[in-house]
Amino acid sequence: MDTSDPDITFDENGYCNHCTRALAEKSTLWFPNEEGEKKLKAIVDKIKIQRKGNDYDCIIGLSGGVDSSFLAYKAVQYGLKPLVVHVDCGWNSELAVKNIENIVKYLNLELHTYVVNWEEMKDLQLAFFRSNVANQDIPQDHAIFAALYKFAVKNNVSYVLNGSNFATESILPVSWGYNALDYRQIKGIYKAFGNKKMKTYPHVTFFQRYVYFTFIKKMRVLKMLNYLPYDKEKAIKIMSDELGWRYYGGKHHESRFTKFFQAHFLPAKFGYDKRRSHLSSLIVSGFMTREQALKEMKKEIYSPQELEDDIQYIAKKLDITPEELKNIISNGKNKTYKDYPNNEQLFSVGINIRNALRKLTNK
Amino acid sequence: MIISRVIPVLLLRDKGLVKTVKFKESTYVGDPINAVRIFNEKEVDELIFLDIDASRKNENPPFELIKNIASECFMPLCFGGGINSIEHIREIIKCGVEKISINSYAVKEPSFIKKTADIFGSSTIVVSIDVKKNIFGKYSIYINGGKDNTGKDPVEFARLAEQMGAGELLVNSIDMDGTMQGYDIQLIQRISGSISIPLIALGGAGSVEHMKQTVNDGGASAVAAGSFFVFHGKRRAVLISYPAIKEIKSIFDN
Repeated sequence: MDTSDPDITFDENGYCNHCTRALAEKSTLWFPNEEGEKKLKAIVDKIKIQRKGNDYDCIIGLSGGVDSSFLAYKAVQYGLKPLVVHVDCGWNSELAVKNIENIVKYLNLELHTYVVNWEEMKDLQLAFFRSNVANQDIPQDHAIFAALYKFAVKNNVSYVLNGSNFATESILPVSWGYNALDYRQIKGIYKAFGNKKMKTYPHVTFFQRYVYFTFIKKMRVLKMLNYLPYDKEKAIKIMSDELGWRYYGGKHHESRFTKFFQAHFLPAKFGYDKRRSHLSSLIVSGFMTREQALKEMKKEIYSPQELEDDIQYIAKKLDITPEELKNIISNGKNKTYKDYPNNEQLFSVGINIRNALRKLTNK
Repeated sequence: MIISRVIPVLLLRDKGLVKTVKFKESTYVGDPINAVRIFNEKEVDELIFLDIDASRKNENPPFELIKNIASECFMPLCFGGGINSIEHIREIIKCGVEKISINSYAVKEPSFIKKTADIFGSSTIVVSIDVKKNIFGKYSIYINGGKDNTGKDPVEFARLAEQMGAGELLVNSIDMDGTMQGYDIQLIQRISGSISIPLIALGGAGSVEHMKQTVNDGGASAVAAGSFFVFHGKRRAVLISYPAIKEIKSIFDN
């Protein structure tokens, strides 16, 4: 990482705070070894016993990307019977839907799709663009989380398998990607820049997330990939060979919007290049050397023609002119999440309370 | 000559895509523009968009949306819904649409078919009918989004539409719509046997097998479907799909 993270600090050896933290946490968060195998087996056995006699024992959110696809593959291999839920935010690529189709077909899984109302989604995404904050993925990420959790609660399934993982995601500066679960932020930005009423947009409040889901509904999140020697390259190979899965190039580029956001909006407007945090994560997990990563950073991120096509498409989808979109990127005054209502403090308190309670109740 | 035509039919309501069952219970299935983009990449033969509220509400076709859809669409595009004037058609063609589907107004005013065919050419004009069977097994044409029974016989009307210069006939079964239980082969057969213009069968497709049946037994020249291309599995999960070329070829190989 470098100073494109405004809050970065370096120690006397030149290591940055992200790297130091990630390296220190590595052994407590990621178990690509026998210990992980044992831990995972224990959790899986517990889930199987709890959900005996049911058609499915856990829920997996599937985007068609590498992480969630491999998660589904592994869950089945471990004998779990997942119900697959896909949240459609209006930006699916053909590759993403084809991957989903192939996964559920080859693994013989049931699929449920939640389609977010596009007219509402569009207005919220426009509001986020006009707010000039960095994390434009929040409207999608929040809806996905909320729809998935609500579906799990409604169907009385307490285990949600989640594809987020240490191996490829251990490093991400807060200023680059503010917490998508903060509904207060979403509401605040929508109030300031939105034009409609959000009637069906799936959302979760702070209370729902930390009290209702966790303690009343006893929801548990299993980040399964953290108990496995998760190697993205190998995962892609396995899935291509066995499931007819296809790669789309670039992390999270299974959504057209996310590609534009990560590969153009963030670097052009804020100077944040998410490849940097992603590659740093891969260095920490030992899948890449620093030299390889630096070489990777020199590659062209977007061909000019492809970028222009995507801008045209995104503007059309959002019902604005390409000029307005370009203008937000080149002339909009950059803001941070702190410029709008947020629950950042509450979240850090919430996480502490949750962890303390978990220790107390030994869960 | 083998022209394999397997056509997704997408229904518009309030700027969004929906899918109905027997013309009721509409389920929201997403944003039309992204759907077109996915169908483009799946190399679909052609697409039919139908605005299912325009006639009933007596509204103009949604020109702005049609323009956005057409500009995104790489394949031949047919649009229908609320069309009752030459001006409508001119405007829609200006938006970049190749074919026009006329339903309610064609049934009410068959001479309109002739007028449009004379101006725009038969190959542009698709006449579309929604057919329902009554408890005695008699077929009748419904208009205004399946709301009003005209009492007209579909076979007779199909002949009339052909005489008036319709280039193609799109036959939709209200009873089978969204059921994914198979086409109404009897209906398709009766109509296809009495006309010589191409017939596109719609309503009930749930598998490639159903499509084969309606071509081989029903005599349809092309097959269209809605649910089959947008739903997956027993939970009817929204997921756009399109059969592989090999499967499509198998539909038209006798």
